[in-house]
Amino acid sequence: MTDTSTTEAPRGAEVADTAAEHESNATRRRLPSWLVGGRGPARYAVIAVWAAMTLLYAALLPETFANAGTFATIFGSQQALVFLAAGLLCTIIVGEFVDMSLASNFGLSATLVAVLTVTHGWNVWVAALIAIAASTFVGVVNGWLVVKVGVNTIVVTLGMGTFLTGIALWAANLTTVAGLPIAFSKIALFKVFGLPLSFYLGLLLMLGFFYILEFTPLGRNMRFVGANREVSRLAGVPVTRIRFLAFVSGGAIAGVGGVLTAAASGGYDPAVSHSYLLPMFAATFLGTAILQPGRFNPLGTWIAVYFLATGVLGLQLLGGTTWVSSVFYGGVLVIAVTISTVLHRRSR
Amino acid sequence: MTRHEGVRAATPAPPAPRLSVSALDKTFGSNRVLTDVTFDVAPGEIHALVGQNGSGKSTVAKILTGLYTPDPGAQVAIDGVPLQLPVTPQESRERGMAVVHQSLGLVDEFTVLENLRVGRLTGSRLTRRIDWAREREAAAAVFARVGRQVPLDVPVGTLLEEDRATVAIARALQDAQAGAGLIVFDESTRALSRRALEHFFGILDEIVATGTAVLMITHRLEEVVAAADRVTILRDGRSVVSGHEVRGMTEAELTSLILGRNLGDLDSRERLVPADDAPRVTVVGVAGLGVAEASFEVRQGEIVGLTGVGGSGYDDVPYLLAGVSPARAGTVSLPGRDLALAGLRPADAIAAGMALVPEGREHAGLAMTESVAENIAFAQTSRARRPLAPMPRRNELALVGEWIDRLGVVPNLPQAPVNTYSGGNQQKVFVAKWLATDPDLLLLHEPTQAVDVGARHTIVEAIHEMAASGMFVLVAGSDENELALLCDRVLVFEEGRIARELSGQVTPDDIVEAIYAGGSRGALRARRDTGAA
Repeated sequence: MTDTSTTEAPRGAEVADTAAEHESNATRRRLPSWLVGGRGPARYAVIAVWAAMTLLYAALLPETFANAGTFATIFGSQQALVFLAAGLLCTIIVGEFVDMSLASNFGLSATLVAVLTVTHGWNVWVAALIAIAASTFVGVVNGWLVVKVGVNTIVVTLGMGTFLTGIALWAANLTTVAGLPIAFSKIALFKVFGLPLSFYLGLLLMLGFFYILEFTPLGRNMRFVGANREVSRLAGVPVTRIRFLAFVSGGAIAGVGGVLTAAASGGYDPAVSHSYLLPMFAATFLGTAILQPGRFNPLGTWIAVYFLATGVLGLQLLGGTTWVSSVFYGGVLVIAVTISTVLHRRSR
Repeated sequence: MTRHEGVRAATPAPPAPRLSVSALDKTFGSNRVLTDVTFDVAPGEIHALVGQNGSGKSTVAKILTGLYTPDPGAQVAIDGVPLQLPVTPQESRERGMAVVHQSLGLVDEFTVLENLRVGRLTGSRLTRRIDWAREREAAAAVFARVGRQVPLDVPVGTLLEEDRATVAIARALQDAQAGAGLIVFDESTRALSRRALEHFFGILDEIVATGTAVLMITHRLEEVVAAADRVTILRDGRSVVSGHEVRGMTEAELTSLILGRNLGDLDSRERLVPADDAPRVTVVGVAGLGVAEASFEVRQGEIVGLTGVGGSGYDDVPYLLAGVSPARAGTVSLPGRDLALAGLRPADAIAAGMALVPEGREHAGLAMTESVAENIAFAQTSRARRPLAPMPRRNELALVGEWIDRLGVVPNLPQAPVNTYSGGNQQKVFVAKWLATDPDLLLLHEPTQAVDVGARHTIVEAIHEMAASGMFVLVAGSDENELALLCDRVLVFEEGRIARELSGQVTPDDIVEAIYAGGSRGALRARRDTGAA
């Protein structure tokens, strides 16, 4: 990710830009630094597009889109993606490029809850804990292979993902396993101000993540490990431990997400796991264009998840069928990665 | 070569310059970084282009390599014929201009032959396989022109430094016809040791004698004074001195031209003669990496230098002491505290009051994409006892503000990412980060490498100040000028052990003499009286 071809950065331009910008920002100077750290109004561009898109859909579909049900659908249905994106951020922020196994790990957890409870008659709460433990253990294995043994991240996690999907399909006997107790579904679906509890859990997770990254030594160490491992090691940061724990927390978060998803739908079909992979990347990369441009950040990612949900839902209401989500998520991922690269280059 | 027959025909004679740059402007957005830069490089001369970090040198280099497009109106001509702008590497190569980048631009894993011919390899007619016999001939011919022999089939990484320099020069020279051509060295020499540097300029001297021209973009003033024929100085994006004859200039004159002001005399530090009973840091029996066994003392307020030839182990000492490289044995006794070096972790060393400012700002110094404030505070926040307790922002900003002022980091924008700063200011941030931990023992490795004279001045003064305030300071370095400026005492390593000690008034020549054990510091270039330029 770093460009080593020039040691002396093409300075001057950027310094002057920043200086000029800070002068023009003089009135906004009192805002906390984590808010003005970015580059002007570009940070809100995606939010503006989101608003424009919502208005456009509302105008085109006054009946079906512009109503409270749509609002509840968009904000009530994305908990899986929020948890997955948070898990992905764990490893991306410490500089491990991507954990490709997250979606399958998430699916493993959801499948285990359903299979253990419905097929094998276990207590659902015990099953949930076991599912989360299993996903965390997958994170441990990933972390051990990548960090301690030094195997390539993408290859290990890609293989692990396929392996886990296979295991989940085998455990579920290739079918949807449904029939979780209603009481259990409350952990995801209990309504608070018209939105399910899982929405708030996702928001809380992202807020907590944001807080850790911005305000605590742990978060700063994570970002520095991502930015430059050697610098961090020399400053006494336990780099290996942080990288390892990033994989473990990624697995654990995916596990919790899986349990919530199984609870929300009363069961799970392991065959759909892979369909979360792309939206997860699209949201995470689109997040780098929001609030803190050029930087992977939890709140930007959270907004991106709902931006994507709005886009897909609108297109579906306009008459698109299943192909819509592929087109939209795929297109957004390409655009988002491009924007992310350009922003990163500009911030250099 | 075509010769431009134009307006100049009235005055006969002076051959068209090899490279002529005129009215070169460059703006980024609203910010002008180059203004009317003009200079000529004549055939058969070594022409130096110098300036502080941020003066526009690297922008000029990037325009010459085609990375940047100059503003309209600029003219770049080779042998009197203007080039298309932006410069395309293909065209400039055809016309005989070659650019050698930082660190010589060699790939260590590939062989000499591959490094030399990459980008020029041609396939045989039928199978399109590389015709290695032909490539080998071409390579041999180039080395013959350079007048040196280097084995073609060994990886470049295994070569001696001198031979690496030869390969880089040969590669740059191979497209030019004998007696023509121009080689641009963009900060290429900064990784070269003294001995390799002498070898390097030895070859260049022979090459320019044939009529080839050399443009050196450099930080090392000694190279300008000792080896260049003419110099062009950039200041704030303008060529304030264009093609000035170097002969007779001193480094001090050059410095004041580069800065546009006079620096105080850095040599004025009074050598410290510490009392015999002064508190001291004692290092006993340190071993590991290239260090076989070394024991020494640093007295309070003293700056001790470590040096030697590459591989003698002097540069491993700071890393072993700081727990960054694994030590086999040894102890370090700080005031009131003894540490065993085997198994020492960086965090323990920092907690015990040691701070290591390593070589390599980008690699080991700073997180370039993070802010100045976060980088300066990092050596403290990284070791916070409670990782989830929020950091006190106010203290942090006060600390950062203090160090930005003390080292004069400009611009004063603590929230801007470090990579928007110039090299010299980055180095200040880097040093500030470790000085801010308020260590007892400060370990430095090449603390002023690749920074301009102004920033070097600030950093050297800051280190002097720290020593005066009662710190113990250890500097490992290969630059004799830096060591002479900084140190009260210099320990010279040979094969992993301390071989010699220099104390009292130490000059750069003394240091070089001690490093090479009697071999004196030769002139970089035996100047010829050709009257070039």
